Formats: sequence, C-alpha cells, structure tokens
Amino acid sequence: MCARPLRTAKLLKGHLLRNAVVDRQLNFLVSANVLVLIAALAIAGPSFVNVYNLQSMAVQIPELGLLGIGVALAMIAGNGGIDLSGIAVANLSGIVAALSVPLWVSPDDAPLMFAFVFGGVCLCVGVVCGLINGLLISRASLTPIIATLGTSMAFSGISVVISNGSGIRLGYIEPLDDFGHMAVLGVPICFALFIAIAAFIGAALRFTPFGVRLYLLGSNAKAARYAGFSQRGLLLVTYTISGILASIAGVVIAARISSVKWDYGTSYVLIAILIVVMAGVRPSGGYGRIVCVVLSATALQMLSSMFNFLDISNFFRDFAWGLLLLVFLQVSRIDLRSWLVRKP
Amino acid sequence: MKKLAVCALLLGSVFTIGTALAAGNKTIVTVVKLAGETWFTRMDEGVKDYGVKTPGVTTSEIGPGKADAAQQERLIEDLIARGVDGIAVVPFDPPMLEGVLKRAMDRGIKVMTHEADNLKNTQVDMEAFDNAAFGAHFNDQIADCMGKTGTWTSFVGSLGSLTHVQWADASAANAAKKYPDMKLVSAKNESFNDANTAYNKAKELLKKYPELKGIEGGSAVDVIGIGRAIEEAGLVGKVCVYGIGMPKDTSRYLKSGAVNGISLWDPKDAGFVMNKIAHMLVDGTEFKEGMDLGVPGYTNMHVKKGPGKGIIVTGQAWIDVNKDNLDKYNF
Repeated sequence: MCARPLRTAKLLKGHLLRNAVVDRQLNFLVSANVLVLIAALAIAGPSFVNVYNLQSMAVQIPELGLLGIGVALAMIAGNGGIDLSGIAVANLSGIVAALSVPLWVSPDDAPLMFAFVFGGVCLCVGVVCGLINGLLISRASLTPIIATLGTSMAFSGISVVISNGSGIRLGYIEPLDDFGHMAVLGVPICFALFIAIAAFIGAALRFTPFGVRLYLLGSNAKAARYAGFSQRGLLLVTYTISGILASIAGVVIAARISSVKWDYGTSYVLIAILIVVMAGVRPSGGYGRIVCVVLSATALQMLSSMFNFLDISNFFRDFAWGLLLLVFLQVSRIDLRSWLVRKP
Repeated sequence: MKKLAVCALLLGSVFTIGTALAAGNKTIVTVVKLAGETWFTRMDEGVKDYGVKTPGVTTSEIGPGKADAAQQERLIEDLIARGVDGIAVVPFDPPMLEGVLKRAMDRGIKVMTHEADNLKNTQVDMEAFDNAAFGAHFNDQIADCMGKTGTWTSFVGSLGSLTHVQWADASAANAAKKYPDMKLVSAKNESFNDANTAYNKAKELLKKYPELKGIEGGSAVDVIGIGRAIEEAGLVGKVCVYGIGMPKDTSRYLKSGAVNGISLWDPKDAGFVMNKIAHMLVDGTEFKEGMDLGVPGYTNMHVKKGPGKGIIVTGQAWIDVNKDNLDKYNF
C-alpha cells in the first residue's frame, strides 16, 4: 500500500521526503482503512460501498469517536492520564436532559427549541462531570484511572437512581432525529459534527499554546513545571473538554436511538481505549494525533460492519480487533525512513 | 519491508475468512441478546433447522459478544445496510431498539420480535405463552413447595429485560392475591444473565434473610447460581428454588435437589417459529387467530393488537422439568 507514494517521495528533496513518511502511524492507519475497504468490497460485495451503508457506518462512528478523543486528550496529558467515565457521562447527560427538558419545553409544540435545550442541558452536565474529574485529578492529585473509575461508577449510580434503572423513551422528535440520521449533501449531520469537533481539537493541539503545553506536560512534567505555566489549570481544562465530548456523545446517542438508559454502551469504555491505542497515542503521555484517532475509529467501524455483513460471530470480531491492535502496535515500530535511506 | 509484508499478510488472512451468500434466496437473520449463551445456542438450532427445511430461505443467527444494548443496535444497523429481507430480534432492552427497527421497516425490511410485547416498531411480536400466566405458574409451584407460608424472593436478568420483570411482577401479584402468609423480600434481584452474579447475590440474600424459604430465578442461568449457593450453604431441601432454566445446564442441581424445578419454552422451537413468522411476513401471508405454525405449543396461536401498528401472537408452549422427567430433554 505504501510503496507508490514512497517511490514518488524518493524523488523529492531530503527534508520533504522525511516529512512525507515521518508519521508511520498515520501512513499505516490510512493504508489499513483502504485495505479494510478493499477487503470488504472483495468479500462482502459492492453493496458495502453503497450510499446507505457508508452513511450507516458514518452514523455509528461519532459516539465511540468522541469518547475516543476524550480518552486521547487525557492520555496525552501524561501522568497515567485516562478517562474511563466517558460513557457514564454520556448516559447521565442524556438521562438528565430526557427527564428535565420536557418539564420546560414541550417536544410537540416546539421541537426545535426542545432539541436545542436538550443539547444545552447535556453539555452543562458534561461540563460539571468533566470539572469533577478534573478537580479530583488536578487538585486532589488522584491517579486518573482511579479517579475516573470512581466517578464513572458514581455517575452511573446517579443515572440509575434518577431513571429508576429503566430506559427513558424520547419518542419521535424531528430535529433530534434529523441530527441523528439525516444527511446533508450525503454526509450525516452527526458525523459532520464529529469531524468538525475532531478538526477543531486537532488544530487546537497543534497550533495553540494549550496544545503545546499539553504535549510538554505529557512528555516531561518536571520541565513543564519549570516552564512556569499552571499544570493544574491545564489538567482541569483537559478533563473538562473530555467531559464535554462525552456529553456530546450523549446527545448523539439520544438522537440516534431516541431513548436513553444508564447501561447503554457499557462495552464502549474498552473499545474507546482500543481506538486510542491503535491510533498511536502514547499511553505514557506526550504524543498523539487526533487525525489518527479518527482514522482508527473508521477502520474499526468498517471492520466490524464488514463482519456483520458476512454474519461472522462477534467473538471472532473481538479476536480480530485484538489481532489488529497487535499488528498496529508492531507495524508502528518499523521505521520506514531507515528502509528508504538504505535503498540506493 | 519484510516485516511490513508479513503484517499485511496477517491482516489479509483475517479478511479472507468469509462466507458466500446464497444468491436469489430470501435472507432472514435472527438477532439474539448475547452470542454463545446456551439458550441462544439452542435457539440457533431452530433457526438453522428452518433454513434447512424451507427452500428459498437462508437463515442465520447473530448476537453481540457482550450483553449491551448498544452492540445489538449496531448489529441491526448493519443488517439494514446489508439489505436483508427479514429480521427476527430478541431485544436486549426493547425501547432501545425502537429507532433502528423503525428504520429497518422504513427500508422495507420485515421485522418480527420475540419477548418484546411493549415494542411499538415491530410488525409481529411472538410470545411463547402469556407472560403473566407463566409468572403465576412459578409462584404456585414455589408456594406449594413452601407450604404457602414464609419468606421468598425473585431474580431477573436485568430490570430492563421486560419478560423477566413481567414474570417477577405477575408472580408477586399472584402471591399477594392467593397466599397472604408469603412474604416477598428484596424482589427482582438483577443477575445480569450471569450465573456467577446470581450465585453471589443468592449468597448475600441467604445471609441477609436466614429465614428465606423460596427463590424464583428470572434469567435462564439464575437457577444455576442459586442452586450452587444453596448447596454450599447446606440448605438443599430447605429452600425452594424454581425458575426458568435449561435442562442440561441445570441437571446437576435438579438431581441434587438444590433446584426443585424449572419451566421453560424450548428456544429451538422459538427460533424455528420466529423464522417461520418472519418468512410469512416476507411472503405477505396473513396472520389469523388460531393458526397453526406447525410446532407443538404453537398450533393454536392467539392474535391480538400490539402497542404499535403490529400484532402480538401468543402460543401455549411452556414445559415443566424436574428431576423425574429430566431425561426427556437433551438440551
């Protein structure tokens, strides 16, 4: 897959050549996406790339992708950073909104208003949950994995209590349903939003002082301390963003399945981490690219949809994901540059 | 580069494992709550059986590897994209599938469900029997065993599993009406369809309520965990255990007396009938009161209106298994 771009790159000047192939993870993720697509086309047939299936896959990506970006940010911050509370925050925000918003706005009389207030309430819950995580980690200096595991259980607990453990049906609310399923110019709205958010966060990491500081904090906390910026503030902001992303995932879930429940997506916690690790985000902090997280999420989605097309057991899918992860980890270690240099 | 090639090869080998779809056949896919659970493995036999016995139909069963409504929803999402002809679903949590099943029907896919009589977006929901009667039947058995007096409790797979809750509620209502001396404590314990969780919960309950004399299992594996807890506590014969279960899985506890009896409907028959109904929908056959679906227990179907536009069809397909007739059931 890589051969042709590399051969052209070889003709270019040295530094350009280096830049073209410098991110092995990115190259590999792109090739993996293409490879999965080709394999799916070959095995599952052309119906795999018809508009409906592409849209159906795109619609399934945002919830996991948003949680993945949240985890990635926490990991980049270093010091064992991780956010296990994502799906719990998503469900809690959906449940709070589903219970409270109908009290103020009638979904039948003002559906658009309802959808916006619903989103607003979700975001508020996300901010609060993210702040709690951030405060526990930055002020109380708890290890992130313990802190977010604890808050995850606490948030789920609140969800169970306020919803009595049963699912809450939202019913058909047109603007919300459109957000979950409708496509504008062929692109589902929620997927477009996901890409926009990913692009925004990717740009923020690359071009703003926030991003530079976050990478610095993750790669060398001591140096970061001497650089003289507020580490606590940075961690607080990072985990709050993660909470907000999770609550957006909550809106997407509510829109997509028109109901909310406390135990929806309990398997997402580990899949989100899988996506992030496969994207090459360094678990010890200091490195990670959002574009890779997005590509990793799309590869996983296509792979799982392909298996569903073929009626392949879901246990095999778990196996394949695990295998894919190991292959990714191995391949990202191969240095293409040294290979290029050795060639005459 | 060699390494890269090896990796690519490895990756490629994953994809080459595929199954060819028979062309021209109608495709009906059965989506279950959880792949690999004994109940649904048995159901798979019925699903396959229907496909083998009926020309022109390809049937298969899939289910999520983890008990999670989100995973089941994604499976159906992909089935819609694949454009199958009929989907038969045993929902993990019915309301969570309303949206995706509506989309399936909007795309012209025929949808039938099992154990989901509160679901609006389905064309036919099939129940093996009247759930309230089934719940009351458990309660009558427990009451007889307990001498119509004493403390008892009940289990459900999860509070979201509709039929489990219906059985537990109907059982409680039956006791309240018929057996005033029976005291229900800590009703509807969740086992999350996991025998080990049921075992731990049962142990806790036996400790908390030493006077406990009856336990009703909700999910198909609850009685296994409960039976183990009863055996370990040396309470065989002192605590009455009834519930839904699989004969083979439960046989050890039925023989030892830790579990007094199980009642069930054969998931193989249910799988067969589900596919028969989905096939009837695909063919546009009408559903009539009293119709015969060709499987014992499903020979006189009761048809009534469902909560949505669809209908609910009910059979009379439960069987009681205890240590005396255990040998007759080899699954």
